[in-house]
Amino acid sequence: MADVSYLDVRRLHADVLDTDTADVALAMDEDAFRAFYDRTSRALWGYLSRTSGDRQVADDLLQECYYRLLKSRVAFESEAHRRNYLYRIATNLVRDTRRGTRPLFAEGLDVSDLEAPQGPADAEQRADVRRAMGRLKPRERALLWLAYAQGSSHSEIAGVLGVKTASIKLLLFRARRKLAAMLEAK
Amino acid sequence: MNDFTDAEIETIVAESLAAEAAMASAEAQPPSSAIVWWRAQMRARQESAQLAEKPITIVHALSIAAGIGLMLSVIGYAAAGVKGSVAWVTNIAEAVPAALAALPLDLVNRWTSLALSAALVSVVIASIAAYFIFVDE
Repeated sequence: MADVSYLDVRRLHADVLDTDTADVALAMDEDAFRAFYDRTSRALWGYLSRTSGDRQVADDLLQECYYRLLKSRVAFESEAHRRNYLYRIATNLVRDTRRGTRPLFAEGLDVSDLEAPQGPADAEQRADVRRAMGRLKPRERALLWLAYAQGSSHSEIAGVLGVKTASIKLLLFRARRKLAAMLEAK
Repeated sequence: MNDFTDAEIETIVAESLAAEAAMASAEAQPPSSAIVWWRAQMRARQESAQLAEKPITIVHALSIAAGIGLMLSVIGYAAAGVKGSVAWVTNIAEAVPAALAALPLDLVNRWTSLALSAALVSVVIASIAAYFIFVDE
């Protein structure tokens, strides 16, 4: 066996490392991505879980959303543009997810998990909201969540859902009425 | 709810969903950004490697062979009327009938010879093309 020096081993190891860490074509650099992820991932998980009705689906889709964002070739004009695009990906992924059981909408809330100021009445009310949300159409859920949980503007919602901005007001009105009627029926 | 105004309904819905959003945010446990970035890198690298290593399929090879065969057939057909400029085609056209003459088949006439010659040449060239394609890999 030929003699191999320590330097040769180091050089070989460095070559392997270079190959393993070679940059691949992603739309953002690591620092920018991590900062963006830290700012948006919790809210996106909430959106995914509440529109899909399944925490497991939300867990699965979260990474897929960011991966598709990273692989996109879109030139984002701003942080808001990038975030809207991310939510559009999320909306499409939830829509394409196989329709099955939606455990989140069926379950109640454990009062012991809630913080002190929130009593049983709050827990009951929130469980009602979830059940009512579960009976809405996916687009209505997304619409209401974006408007009231995320505080998105009409134009942002239109961009995410792929509908005209002018029609958002009417769609929101109908979805609100529907949700309110379901809450009252309960 | 018919007794409520739209503004009141909006308030009820907004408060309910804001509370639900707070709860969703509290229960969210997304993986760390470092892990998501690392997984994305791995996946992108894997996909690009798969793309680079994707073998040329048989369909590609057949398409190339068919294309070459078609092209040579057309050339051979055109060349048949211009004797001398494509002597190699006529040479093959003469050689093939001679070989086929030994067969108990009535295939030996001018046009079938030309077609067979073209097919033979296309097979040879397709083989060479396929060789170079797979050698590159």
